[in-house]
Amino acid sequence: MSYIEVNNLKKDFIVKKKREKGKLLREKDTVNALKGVSFSVDEGELVGYIGPNGAGKSTTVKILSGILTPDSGEVNVGGVVPWKDRKQHVKNIGVVFGQRSQLWWDVPIIDSYNLLKDIYRIPQASYEERLHELAGALDLEPLMRTPLRLLSLGQRMRAELCGSLLHRPKLLFLDEPTIGLDAVSKLALRDFLKWENKEYGTTIMLTTHDMEDIAALCSRVMVLGHGQKLFDGKLPDLLERFDTVRNVSVKYAVEPDLKLPEGVICNKTEDGLELSYEPSKLPTSKLLSILQDAGNIRELTLQPENTDHLIAAMYKELDL
Amino acid sequence: MNTLRLYFKSIGMLLRSHLQYPSSFIMQTLAQLVMEGGEMLAVILIVDRFGSLKGWSGGNLYFFFGMMSVSFYMTEIFGRGITGDFPSMVRTGRLDSFLVRPRGVLTQVMCAGTDPRRITCVAVGVVALIMGSNISGITWTPLKALVLIESIAMSCLLILGLFMIEAIFCIFSVKSVEIVNAITYGGRSACQYPINVYPLPLRALFTIVAPFALTLHVPASWILGKPLYGWPWWAAVVTPLSGIVVFGIMTVLFHVALRHYRSTGS
Repeated sequence: MSYIEVNNLKKDFIVKKKREKGKLLREKDTVNALKGVSFSVDEGELVGYIGPNGAGKSTTVKILSGILTPDSGEVNVGGVVPWKDRKQHVKNIGVVFGQRSQLWWDVPIIDSYNLLKDIYRIPQASYEERLHELAGALDLEPLMRTPLRLLSLGQRMRAELCGSLLHRPKLLFLDEPTIGLDAVSKLALRDFLKWENKEYGTTIMLTTHDMEDIAALCSRVMVLGHGQKLFDGKLPDLLERFDTVRNVSVKYAVEPDLKLPEGVICNKTEDGLELSYEPSKLPTSKLLSILQDAGNIRELTLQPENTDHLIAAMYKELDL
Repeated sequence: MNTLRLYFKSIGMLLRSHLQYPSSFIMQTLAQLVMEGGEMLAVILIVDRFGSLKGWSGGNLYFFFGMMSVSFYMTEIFGRGITGDFPSMVRTGRLDSFLVRPRGVLTQVMCAGTDPRRITCVAVGVVALIMGSNISGITWTPLKALVLIESIAMSCLLILGLFMIEAIFCIFSVKSVEIVNAITYGGRSACQYPINVYPLPLRALFTIVAPFALTLHVPASWILGKPLYGWPWWAAVVTPLSGIVVFGIMTVLFHVALRHYRSTGS
């Protein structure tokens, strides 16, 4: 039995359209946010949950964290049905929404933590030990007396993380945790999440649009689109499956007469030639040798394995 | 007990955040004084012009006014989460964060709002109560004092319950529903005068739907020695309990509504 079990989860939303002229009642539209999603997650896993906007990621997280009640389907998190036994369930989870604060805006963050201690009924000794540990790991000591509203975005995210982990949850949901953060903050945040996961075996589920997050953190990735699960597995497998077209740009000293094999598309630009090819049909090494034989190369760029690009390609291929 | 401690700790923290902007706080508190003082002045003018209203003397009217002011603004001070801030909690997604914590949602909503600026309104109400009591020549007994406290407490619960109707609508539609204000703010304005000055439909509204007549007018008129409808003394003790009944029903409905909560996008 896995830690999280989700079976055929469905949720519809009824959206009221704007009232059209001459009609008395507004028309209603049903949006199928989730059309029967199933998956399971083991304890201690670090799972990335990706998909375009409106795919149903947040809806899933909200159901798993007990905020929403699904229309049908089964969910079991550590033996508890989230929306039926909400209070029991949320004792063991932590939630961070990237754009929403869980802490109090106008008071020093230490006051917020003290109040969370009371809300979660954390014993004083355990609280102090944990706060000290998190403050060290997240570098929050110097900020403790600062009101939340005066913190920068990166600092605020660290403060939120600390607040959501004080009660030592077994499961942590992160909804776009790195949104808007600079490179240094992102790296620090990822290091911290890895540490927390390793040290305490905390199961972490992370929704994001940032493929670097997934690459750096997640052993497993799930792709959601149109309310359905489209992929569930390791990131390299995902990339392999959708890594169908690659680009090379090349610049010659003197433009040669290139004879390219079939399937390679060539575009002339001011900066030279842009080629796209399918590595499955034409190995990269072979293409390179053809290019080299053709003339004196001044510059050659193989497009790096850009995951964002791949995801965009995947969304397109799956017709999202 | 733990919940009560949490409540006062939260309210203490909110007070400190209000005081982060002291000049704004003082100005607004004074503005409240002017506003509620104006309301009181209106009653004084009526008494000055007419002397009495349907058999209620000036002192009686001040007493009714004072009871309503104290009840209503105490509710706003301690229940701001329900009476004012709830729609924005739904809109901004703060309700989501309450739902992921192991505490009652209603508890957390109550913990999340206070409106200390209303303290001046309560002060006006207390002044009106004292004036009313002195002018009417009430002889206080322990029972009368108890009924007064019960009546104010139950009126507070009733007002909370009425504002919860708005909160329940809000859970479904995200927007706030102004129509409910007719019985909350409207109820306050109307029921600061004795109920029997109104025609039957209004009397029915404020006895059955929003029973201010039961939580406030029945006990207050008994304290004043002019029992409403000639009801016996125990009516003044029993009828205010309708406040807790309304609050109880609304609490149940509130939790039913939360089952259908849809949250907002992120």
